[in-house]
Amino acid sequence: MTAIVEARGLVKRYNGTIAVAGVDLSIPEGEIFGLVGPNGAGKTTMLRMLATLLAPTSGDAEVAGESVRRNPQAVRRVLGYMPDAFGVYDDMKVWEYLDFFGRCYGLGPAQRRRMIGDLLELVDLAGKRDAYVQSLSRGMQQRLCLAHALVHDPKVLLLDEPASGLDPRARVELRELLRELRAIGKTILISSHILPELEELCTSVAIVDHGRVLAAGTINEIGQKLRVGEVLRIRVLGDEAEVATARAWFEGREDVASASIDAGQIEIGFRGDETGAAALLAAAVRAKIRVASYSPAATDLQELFLQVTDRDTASQQTGVQA
Amino acid sequence: MTAITSRLRLSRVPRVRFSSGISAIIVKELRGRMRGRRAFIIITIHVLLLALIGWMLMRILEERSAGLSFGGQVNYASASIGRGIFIGLMLVQTLMVAVLAPAATAGAISSEREHQTLDLLAVTPISSIAIVLGKLVSALAWLFILILASIPVTALVFVFGGVAPDDMIRAYIVLFATVIGLGSVGIFFSTLTRRTGAATGLTFVATLALVVGSVFVWAYLSSTSESDSTGLRRQPPEALLYLNPFVAQMDVACGTEDGGFGGTCGIVTGIVGQQIVPDFPRPQPFPGQNVDPGFGVGGGGVVMPADNVTGEELVKIRAAGGVIGQDDDVTNAQVAITWRDRFWPKTVLAFLFLATVMTLASVQFVTPTRRWRPSLPGPVRRLFRRRSA
Repeated sequence: MTAIVEARGLVKRYNGTIAVAGVDLSIPEGEIFGLVGPNGAGKTTMLRMLATLLAPTSGDAEVAGESVRRNPQAVRRVLGYMPDAFGVYDDMKVWEYLDFFGRCYGLGPAQRRRMIGDLLELVDLAGKRDAYVQSLSRGMQQRLCLAHALVHDPKVLLLDEPASGLDPRARVELRELLRELRAIGKTILISSHILPELEELCTSVAIVDHGRVLAAGTINEIGQKLRVGEVLRIRVLGDEAEVATARAWFEGREDVASASIDAGQIEIGFRGDETGAAALLAAAVRAKIRVASYSPAATDLQELFLQVTDRDTASQQTGVQA
Repeated sequence: MTAITSRLRLSRVPRVRFSSGISAIIVKELRGRMRGRRAFIIITIHVLLLALIGWMLMRILEERSAGLSFGGQVNYASASIGRGIFIGLMLVQTLMVAVLAPAATAGAISSEREHQTLDLLAVTPISSIAIVLGKLVSALAWLFILILASIPVTALVFVFGGVAPDDMIRAYIVLFATVIGLGSVGIFFSTLTRRTGAATGLTFVATLALVVGSVFVWAYLSSTSESDSTGLRRQPPEALLYLNPFVAQMDVACGTEDGGFGGTCGIVTGIVGQQIVPDFPRPQPFPGQNVDPGFGVGGGGVVMPADNVTGEELVKIRAAGGVIGQDDDVTNAQVAITWRDRFWPKTVLAFLFLATVMTLASVQFVTPTRRWRPSLPGPVRRLFRRRSA
């Protein structure tokens, strides 16, 4: 797999503040890549630089082999961009909206006609063809905006917070849509601070904070890379006394750093790897502890994210680069 | 669904031609502007308003000339009524255009920013110059329609006489140039600021500065400058007033006046001073006649006794663009000469030049990744609240 989006040492500085502080990214073709980070982490700035809307202060990025610095026009032709806050024109019908952007990309009349029909069907707005854009619901506008980013059949889609402000149903629909787009070979780069969202959707993610990529890879990879001390969550059957006994047993183990009871479940800080965790479980069962569930607590993005960003804050305080 | 998505694979996106980029913007803008009844209603109101003003001017001038005309002078009165309506209508239209042009263009780019649609536009392969020109052309097209719709009303002056079709063509050329110039100023402020309100305000301030401010400065300089040896004050540079559409319209109106005295010709001569046509011996002013150029003194052109001018010279005067006629202040024995087209062509050129400069500057401000950024001092920057992104 070749990288279709490649950033090297991307830096953006605004009047003294650094929004993006040297980002290297490599996104293979066909991925749904998530940029995760708290508000103000620099996600939008990164996307805007990739979308040729901002000139990088230093560094460069290539989209489909074209440099955003040297050849922004070529980048624009292979790129679809949906901004975080996007507007719609007043006084414009849905088909006119797509027709306008079709013209902007230099499509001929026949191409535009076919494209409008196809895209409206794809984003499920075929019935709204002659409706005014401002009369659409938020979710519909979002889908229309996504359709607008597709009029020129781009290779890469940059979606800045595509799910913000959508109700759960619209979110599910959006997810389906993005999967479908991936199926036809689009590479999709999504930024979001809604983590569960990306977890289900993305093939890989980059965790971003303070303008830097703190970790990148598949969610599992990041999890393994970052797992210094894993947190295991164990549910034990029995009354309070039995749970307390179990906790004491876990705490007595050499590879367990700490054990506490939280809402009836035992949480332990575990020093070993997965093999060690399996061994621990086997030992617990042998010790007649009635384990009902046993799972690592840090597999989801949310917790990874908190871990990583916490560590980042700590390292900033000590002046160590993450 | 998969059938649809597979059909989505279009051929490679072609390079977007400049013309198709402009036409995309123009089509979109005009669709918005011309939709529904709004455009129709605005044009109707505009034309009706002009017709009303024209009718009122006619009534005013009729009543005035009724007291002046005796017997044989009725024809002359009709021509002067026609001229009066023509001048009045062109000045009113200039005023309307000075209001409408900023209003039509000041929101062009800033409203895209307000609606957060400029980014959507900027990531398409359309060039910034196509965006700016497309916006300007579509706004101007709208204003041109308004102006063209007024031509039938203005043409009613032909019923009265006193105004030739070529006078009207001149007046409309000035009007179109005014729209282009002021419209480009509106676009410029629209790209500079983030809010349409601010852009509109700044454009009106700039228009006022051109129309009222320039006259004020000119009058100040004219009244306070040093006198030369003949006792006349030195004229301030006429270029100060090139971007004043009203002065240009008065120069056009001057061409319709017979004789070079009083009225608009006096004002224009006061500004440009007397012109001497080479090859033509400057006639001596008629003794006792005041040819001092200046506001309201009735000076202007060159006056000489009719018997001084030979038929051959009259031909020369006409060939050089002079207008020969009589003025009611002057006895029939005198011939007054005024040079036509002394001022307004410069105004037209100045407006076109302004439009070019403003458009190029606008392109700079629209380009998202421009290298060159004007560095305004901090307080000014905060005032404009230019987009930080």
